[in-house]
Amino acid sequence: MSLVSTRDLTVTLPPDTDRAHAVDGVSLEIAKNEIVCIVGESGSGKSITAHAVMGLLPRGVRATGGEILFDGVDLLKEAPDAMRKRRGRDIAMIFQDPMAALNPVVAIGKQVTEQIRAHCAVTERVALAQAADLLGQMGLKDASGLLKAYPHQLSGGQRQRVMIAMALSLLPRLLIADEPTTALDVTTQAQILKLIKRIQAEREMSVLFITHDFGVVADIADRVAVMRHGRVLESGATAQVLREPAHSYTRALIAAVPSGDNLLAPLPDAAPLMAVTGLTKRFRRGGFFARNAVTAVDNVSLTLKRGETLGIVGESGSGKSTLARCVIRLLDPEEGEILFDGADIAHLSPRGLKPLRRRIQMVFQDPFSSLNPRQTVADIITAGPRAHGESAKAALARAADILRLVGLNPETMHRLPHEFSGGQRQRIGLARALMLKPDILIADEPVSALDVTVQAQVLKLLDDVRRQMNLAMLFITHDMRVAAQVCHRVMVMRHGQVVEAGPTRDVFAAPSSDYTRALLAAIPGRGTL
Amino acid sequence: MNRLQFIAMRLVKTALVTVAVVVLSFFLIRLAPGDAATVMAGQSGYADEAFMKNLRAEYGLDQPLPVQLAKYLGAVAHGDLGTSYVRRQPVLAVILERLPNTLLLDAFALVVAIAGGVWLGGIAARKPGSWGDAAVTVLAMLFYAVPQFWLGMMAVLVFAVWLAWLPPFGIETMGADFTGMARLGDIAQHMILPGMTLALYFLASYARLTRTAMLEVADADFVKTARAKGISERQVARRHILRNALIPLVTYAGLQASILVGGSVLVENVFSWPGIGTLAYDAVTARDNPLLLGIFIITAILVSLFNLLTDIAYSIADPRVELGR
Amino acid sequence: MRFARRFFSRPTALIGFALFAAIALVALLAPVIFARGPFSIVGMPLLPPGAPGLLAGSDVLGRDMAVGLAYGARISLLVGIASTLFAVGIGVLLGAVAGYYGGLVDDLLMRVTEFFQIIPSFVLLMVLVAFLQPSLGSTVIGIALVTWPQVARVVRGEFLSLRNREFVQAARTLGESDARIIFTQILPNALPPIVVVSSMMVGSAILTESALSFLGLGDPNLLSWGSMIGGARSAMWVAWWTTVLPGLSIMVTVLALNFIGDGLNDALNPRRRG
Repeated sequence: MSLVSTRDLTVTLPPDTDRAHAVDGVSLEIAKNEIVCIVGESGSGKSITAHAVMGLLPRGVRATGGEILFDGVDLLKEAPDAMRKRRGRDIAMIFQDPMAALNPVVAIGKQVTEQIRAHCAVTERVALAQAADLLGQMGLKDASGLLKAYPHQLSGGQRQRVMIAMALSLLPRLLIADEPTTALDVTTQAQILKLIKRIQAEREMSVLFITHDFGVVADIADRVAVMRHGRVLESGATAQVLREPAHSYTRALIAAVPSGDNLLAPLPDAAPLMAVTGLTKRFRRGGFFARNAVTAVDNVSLTLKRGETLGIVGESGSGKSTLARCVIRLLDPEEGEILFDGADIAHLSPRGLKPLRRRIQMVFQDPFSSLNPRQTVADIITAGPRAHGESAKAALARAADILRLVGLNPETMHRLPHEFSGGQRQRIGLARALMLKPDILIADEPVSALDVTVQAQVLKLLDDVRRQMNLAMLFITHDMRVAAQVCHRVMVMRHGQVVEAGPTRDVFAAPSSDYTRALLAAIPGRGTL
Repeated sequence: MNRLQFIAMRLVKTALVTVAVVVLSFFLIRLAPGDAATVMAGQSGYADEAFMKNLRAEYGLDQPLPVQLAKYLGAVAHGDLGTSYVRRQPVLAVILERLPNTLLLDAFALVVAIAGGVWLGGIAARKPGSWGDAAVTVLAMLFYAVPQFWLGMMAVLVFAVWLAWLPPFGIETMGADFTGMARLGDIAQHMILPGMTLALYFLASYARLTRTAMLEVADADFVKTARAKGISERQVARRHILRNALIPLVTYAGLQASILVGGSVLVENVFSWPGIGTLAYDAVTARDNPLLLGIFIITAILVSLFNLLTDIAYSIADPRVELGR
Repeated sequence: MRFARRFFSRPTALIGFALFAAIALVALLAPVIFARGPFSIVGMPLLPPGAPGLLAGSDVLGRDMAVGLAYGARISLLVGIASTLFAVGIGVLLGAVAGYYGGLVDDLLMRVTEFFQIIPSFVLLMVLVAFLQPSLGSTVIGIALVTWPQVARVVRGEFLSLRNREFVQAARTLGESDARIIFTQILPNALPPIVVVSSMMVGSAILTESALSFLGLGDPNLLSWGSMIGGARSAMWVAWWTTVLPGLSIMVTVLALNFIGDGLNDALNPRRRG
């Protein structure tokens, strides 16, 4: 028997939005004691559906049709006060970014007890004892210390555990988790997923889990519903949907999750185009009086051949992006050398660097901030050639070819960046880099801001371009699955140091370090997909 | 960085600001045409070259600039701000005599502005786009555009001349010789018009700031979390929204203090309030440069001390202070 | 012109613009319409508005208030615009350099702007103008000196955040020069807040000028709205128009400028763009 069932749920957006409905006739069942995943890309309505169940739709957004039955009662018809009393007690929710979801100026203990005391008449002391007990159950050590701490003093994983403890404090029958692991590092993500699965089983709750990642679905869900454009395309038992997806979109979503099947073989030996040795970069931390430095990149060495893609993999804070920015000399390394075509460029002056600029180019992470919003695509992609003395006319003539190469219509080159989608913007960023006919392309998390289906297209494009132009590519990513798909060799970084490096096939088949093993084990959906 | 280190750093900053103010004053003196000797010679009626030279030597004006600066800093550190030309008294004594009246007026205005502004801003933020919200916006717009001294004159015209509800000028009734509570009541009556005139501009800006801050916080994820806990809207507003929205207000109060002092110079003059604002006007009309400069130094030090207080309040209100700003 | 459409779609922006245009026209044409100048005596003192030939009445000395108001507009607008131009010039230059290069220049500039935020700038302005001798020039220079840090702060903040945006990093990897990056990549994106702050600053400079003149620290050879109010303080009781009219003129002018500033803010704010 279902705990929650929505029937033809329709959620209407405010009149001035680009579409009328965020959710359009969604029917879902969540049985007692099961985990249901809604999976979809951005704009699919998955998150709005969850918020509708919680009765917490954003201002101006209203549920205008259908019903949400919770244990037989239509939540849409509940009085506001009755609905408020259900929140936290019957239904609890955790969010994507635990840092933002916790009040920054209230101590953790107070935030947990507030939840308890909103529904039970207990003293603060009793509630605090309960809170400490809950934090312990979430696998947090030193609960009494944590209760006195403020959110910014905790790590990302600790914060999300606190959020879960808070949500579970009154034994709700339904837990709604809205992308609860997206903002976390892979290893933390795996721990939180395990935690949610454990407590769900222990307490026989129902969980509605929102995610964009089929790997996560494979790991956690009993049943799955695939959403797109506000509608449910298909739903069913997880194993079945994964094995025999009925809808072509579902097949595309599943296929878009890099599988790690066809790993690239390392290239035959050749003289390296670039050789980095002993590179070290420190940052001064704090203000005027603080003199302590953080070593972001610590004695890193690497080589790169023509036509080769080297993946640099690491979690946030591993120094991978700093390394990339040192190699392209956006940052000045303190020590080490960067031999490029036989010359050390690690300490060249800006003037000396200029002729080299065109030979090393970069594609950036954020499709929205990587293009100047006030310049047309034509201006953006011809800026490089113009800076190196090519006439605007000549550059413009080549621009059309490059745009076609990256799969864009050259006729759109007089438009501004905001008229393009995220995937198209990444293509423009790639075109800008390719206009200079570089030898080395540095790609800094080029797909991590994109939806999975778009991700797959951009990865394929990067690989095609690499082949056609015989580029050497330095590919920075936090995602082992992505690295597996495009890299000949990978280098795993942690705390600024290289943990392990080698051909992709070897590293994936037989990782030599514990950390790499942990990273690989943490990949969502590993083994199932 | 913990809270104590933060406060220590702010203390150092306050000290540095004070020194900078005095150094700036030292150079400002040199802006005025002629030096102290010519001014004094001019006042004493005659000026032959030898007399001027003597005067310059006496006041150390013939010494190199750094030496003069060091002497000036030393003098100010000992509370010697020079002598008022007109009053023939030490500048510091003249200022300290008037200071309490100004502090009284400014404190009243600040309390009214913050209390009223937070209250009105809260009302406006509760229902953005409503009638009350629009009224707050329009009022803020008007008070930003009105010259404060003129607003004061209009207040006198309406409330003191036409309606005759409140006394128009001064701090207490001349010749009435009230004592005790009666005197306090009399002063309070006299304070209403200048105090409100001074407060209104700041009240409007606090209302606007509170409204913006509360609307911004209301969209934060942790407010959603609070609602997901099932606590009442009242508690969501008080414990989560207002608590966070007040933090920028604390810093803002410090920044506004320097504007408040400027406003009180004007308002005191309109209402003949015997504070340092009227004193500054007297100094300007009498070309009493040491007095004017003394007022600048003292008000600057007071404002930076007030900023120190708001910084300490901020460090208590926001635990993230240890992350550094 | 999508920008103009967005700007004028706000009724307050439209009103503000119309009012400002009218005031600017009066200021420009004042010497043509009232060739005899604001100081000439035209009749009995303190005649009410509507007296023969006196649209706005006469003041304490029997001068035509209407002429005074028209000439006062010249002073207000001149001081407001000139001091803002100076302040914006200095502020943009220093703010851009500090925000883009960071380091010691930035540390220094931040200390200076914090200093100006803390000290009572109106009292400093009084000292400056009194010591330099009151004149149009000292008023403009004084106001610019105490307000430029405000602009520098805004510009520095914009440059600091834009400097780390990926499109600026991309420009550096393309080999564009610093000057080119500052002027073609960053400045166009930093312009909206600069424009908005500037329009608001003109209004507050007008208020400051009127306050200085009211205290007798204006140019003694020029009639401004502030000095008209200051000069009529004794007559306020018997002749309301001598203080009410110049005060309203200040208010309407500043209100118009603030409306324009708000309109610009909305029209230039990228968050409101589709």
